[in-house]
Order: sequence, then structure tokens, then C-alpha cells
Amino acid sequence: MDFFVEGLRRGAQLLLGGDAEVLGITLLSLQIALVSTIFACAVGIPVGFLVGTSRFWGRRAAITALNTMLAFPTVVVGLLTWGMLTRNGPLGGLGLLYTWWAIVIAEVILAAPVAAALTAAAVQGIDPRVRRTAMTLGAGFWTTHWAVAREARFALLAAVVVAFGRVLAEVGAAMIVGGNIRYHTRTLTTSVALASSQGDFALAMALGLVLFGLALTVNVLLQLFQGRGHAA
Amino acid sequence: MLLSARHIEHHYRGRCVLAVDEIEFAPGTITALVGPNGSGKSTLLRILGFLETPTRGTLTLDGKQVRTRADRLAARRTVTLVEQQPFLFGGTVKSNLMFGLRTRGCRGREATTRVTEALQTIEIEELAERDARSLSDGEKQKAAVARALVVQPRVLLLDEPASAADRASKNRLYRVLDDVRQAGLAVCFASHHLEDAYRWSDRMVSLEGGRASPVTPENLFRVDIPPGTGAKPVRVGDLEIHVVTDTSGPATIALPPDDFIVSKSAFPSSARNQFPGRIKRISEDTRGRVTLTVDAGPEFIVRITPDSLAELGLSVGSAVVLSVKAVAVRVF
Repeated sequence: MDFFVEGLRRGAQLLLGGDAEVLGITLLSLQIALVSTIFACAVGIPVGFLVGTSRFWGRRAAITALNTMLAFPTVVVGLLTWGMLTRNGPLGGLGLLYTWWAIVIAEVILAAPVAAALTAAAVQGIDPRVRRTAMTLGAGFWTTHWAVAREARFALLAAVVVAFGRVLAEVGAAMIVGGNIRYHTRTLTTSVALASSQGDFALAMALGLVLFGLALTVNVLLQLFQGRGHAA
Repeated sequence: MLLSARHIEHHYRGRCVLAVDEIEFAPGTITALVGPNGSGKSTLLRILGFLETPTRGTLTLDGKQVRTRADRLAARRTVTLVEQQPFLFGGTVKSNLMFGLRTRGCRGREATTRVTEALQTIEIEELAERDARSLSDGEKQKAAVARALVVQPRVLLLDEPASAADRASKNRLYRVLDDVRQAGLAVCFASHHLEDAYRWSDRMVSLEGGRASPVTPENLFRVDIPPGTGAKPVRVGDLEIHVVTDTSGPATIALPPDDFIVSKSAFPSSARNQFPGRIKRISEDTRGRVTLTVDAGPEFIVRITPDSLAELGLSVGSAVVLSVKAVAVRVF
């Protein structure tokens, strides 16, 4: 037990002392998570809208595919992305492997289906009269969808938050395509993995606390949105 | 013709739920769509509102056929539907009215003025700033009618617009519809209340099992009801018809064809109305009912069974007496 207490104490010291490396890792993690979430939602939310609101041939298959992609093992996505970006891979020429952009690409592949599936569920749950009402009042394609999105706004915010949380907590793909390079691609999760394997329990604990704090914040936000969604 | 639909057929899960050969709407008219629940009224209204595309058939607006997605969007700027249980967007009643104006690029002072006018027309100014979700069902319906009127459509479709209204608001609503009709709109409302349909429409179309037929007004007379309560006589031509009503002034009365007793001579009974007349026409329909047209001053349509026809030995030209109770005469 002393071991834990000591780890926590030293971890807290590192955090409160404003350790530059810990701060850098945290900021990089947030940067990657934010950029990945923006791209994942930019792709996922429109796809979710399409699947959730339109009737087209193969819609059922699309929903099944989305739900399967939710359960994609992250290391497999990491591996496939690595294969694409490695020097001999189809996108090897871009020279992105072992940069933070490589992590973003892998995380977008992981988080976009989350955003899409949750968006589809959110807009499917919206009263069909919303669409008809907007249309009969003269709304065009975009305004109609905007009206639906407005009615589903809390569920859509929840989709964004869940996608962000997934990216922030992800370790397997980040490790494979980022390479855990100090000051460049070392994120909270990959450095926790490294520190613990090196036996630096205090550092791992400090980073773990940061990660835990962020995860908590994300989930509190999610609760808040869901609560308001039910109240509305 | 402002709006017309031809050879409309609509299928849902492989079943034909609507088959309307022709229906037309001219400016300045009110059409009532009557029929039981599930008869296809709402589906027809959604098709006429360009919200659903029928499986077969053509819709024409201002003489031009509406075919493409862009045509339908343009058509929805002319035709507006108020659903039976209207959906109000989250926000205030005012913001709901603003929605349709914004889609038409109308903002600022003009938009505010039009919203205020529409709220005044429906007499719900006090609801303007209320949260739309906190309204009662009746208030929601009124807000939805105001929201439809504010965009100044040329065709206004309403699905059971007064189903949640009390008597006073119902009459007020229909009076508003009558006003906008006089302003040149084509109005069409669905109702399963025959009284409302008779009283407020120029024309009735009946839907049954998805099929439409014009309602032929049987034994309908415009009358002037004298003041007073209870039983009183009204004049239809030379005939005096006893009715029971507390209303007075101009009204429509209807004598249901099935409520007449046909006899060969007058007989003492409780029926306040006895009209001697002569049979002009006899016809038997597919359901085995006999319809008599009796000239008793005004003409009456009367339905009896084939057995009665045979037992009384009636034929065209026979003298008969029609009896009908004063309370059976319906007043609209």
C-alpha cells in the first residue's frame, strides 16, 4: 500500500511542480485528441445523418458495418495505418509515419464510426414530424437537416464527447503509428505504458492522474449533456 | 386550377392505401375531407402538401406538373400543411413562427410585424414568448395554424385542425379559415366531424378505405332559424319544418335520409314533421338499399328497405307521407 501512496505523492509533486515534460505530453495528447475529434466528427456526423435519416438500398448493411467498426481492435487499426504509412506502403511517400499526424489518422479511423453510429442513433430517435414540419414551412435540404440537428443537439454533443474520450484513452494504435517518441509522439497513454514498463511508477501515476482527470471531465460533460437532453 | 392531383395511388408495404382519381383545389374555396380514422385523409394531405411522393399519379400546381425535387421544394413554398398533432420546435412560439419566414429570407422588422399579425389573427398574442413545449394540445394547434399562416401560403391544408379545441376556439378557428378563403386561399381541412364539414366547407370529399367520392348533399337546406329555444318551425320554400335547437339566425339543416318513415297516408304519431308528397324516382343500390326521391315541395331523398317498398306497393307517382321527428333534423 505504501508503494501506491508513495507513487501518488510523487505523482502529485510532479504535477503541482509543473514538470515541463508532463505538461508537454498532456498538451500533445489534448492536441491530438482535439484534431482527431474534429476530423472524426466532420466525417462521422454527416455519415450518421445519412444513415439515420435517408432510405437507401444497403442502409441496413451500412448500419451493421458501422456497428462492427465500433468494435474494431485498436491495434489492428494501428497496424493497418502503419502498413499504409510505412515507407513501402501506398502512402509511404507522405513521410507521416511516427509523426503526430499519423496518430491523428489512426484515431480518426477509430473515432469516426463512433461519431457516425451515435449520430445515426440520435437522429433516428428524433420525431419524424420535425422533418415534415421543417419541409412544409419551406425549408430546403440544409435547413431541414439543421432543424433535425437542433432537436438532436444534446445527443449529438454526446456523440462528440464520446468520440473525444475514445481518442484520448486510446493506446494501441498511438503506440504503433506514433512510435512513442519523446517530445514528438509521446502521449499520455503511451508514456504511461512506457513508464510502467520501465518501473517509473511515480511518473506513470502522475500521467495516469492527468488522464483520469481528463476522462472524468469528459464524462461529467457527457452526463451534463445527456441530462439536459432528457430535460428538453 | 391552383392545385390538382390526378390518378393518385399510394402504396405502403405493398398495400394500396390510397387511390384518388382526381381532386382539385381552386383559389377562394374551402374543401372538407371527411372519413373515418385510417381512411387515408392524412396520407392524402401529406401528398397534397408535397411531403410524400405518391407511388403513382401526378400533382399539378398552377398548371405546371410537379416532378423534380426542386419542383417539390418550390411547391412547398406555396402549399403548407398543419398536421393533426403539430410538432413545435424547441424555443418560443415566436421563434416557431419565425422559422418559415427565415426559410424565405424574411427577417427583421417585417418578420416581427408578420409574426405579430399572425398571432393576432389566431388570437394568441399572449403565447408569443411562451416555451412551445409547455403549451396545451389546443394551444399547440393554434400556434401551428399561426405558423402556417405567417408564411402566407396559397394553399392551406389542415389535418383535424380543431381536434383539441373547445367549442369557442373551434368556431374562431373556422372563422379564420373562412376569412383567409375570402382572401383567395384554397383551404382544405380533414375532419371526422360531419357537422364542422357541412358548416364550414363549400364542398365535401369523402374518403373511405383510401378511395374518394364527392359527398352529395342530401336533404340539406339553408334556413333562417327564428330566435328562441327548443322546438321551432323553419321555412323551406312553402314547407314548414320543425327543428329543435337553441341557435338562431342563418344555418344549414339536414334531414338524414335514413330517419324518415314512409307511409301511404298520414297517421297520428309523435313525429312533428309530416310532409305529403309524390315519388319521383326509385333506385336500388348495390348494397340492397332503396332510395326514393320524393317531391314534397322541396325534394327529399329517403332510404327504405326493398321489403318496405314491396309491402307498401310503391311505384313512381305514388302519393306518400314522410314523417320525421323534429329532433332528427340536424342543425349546423
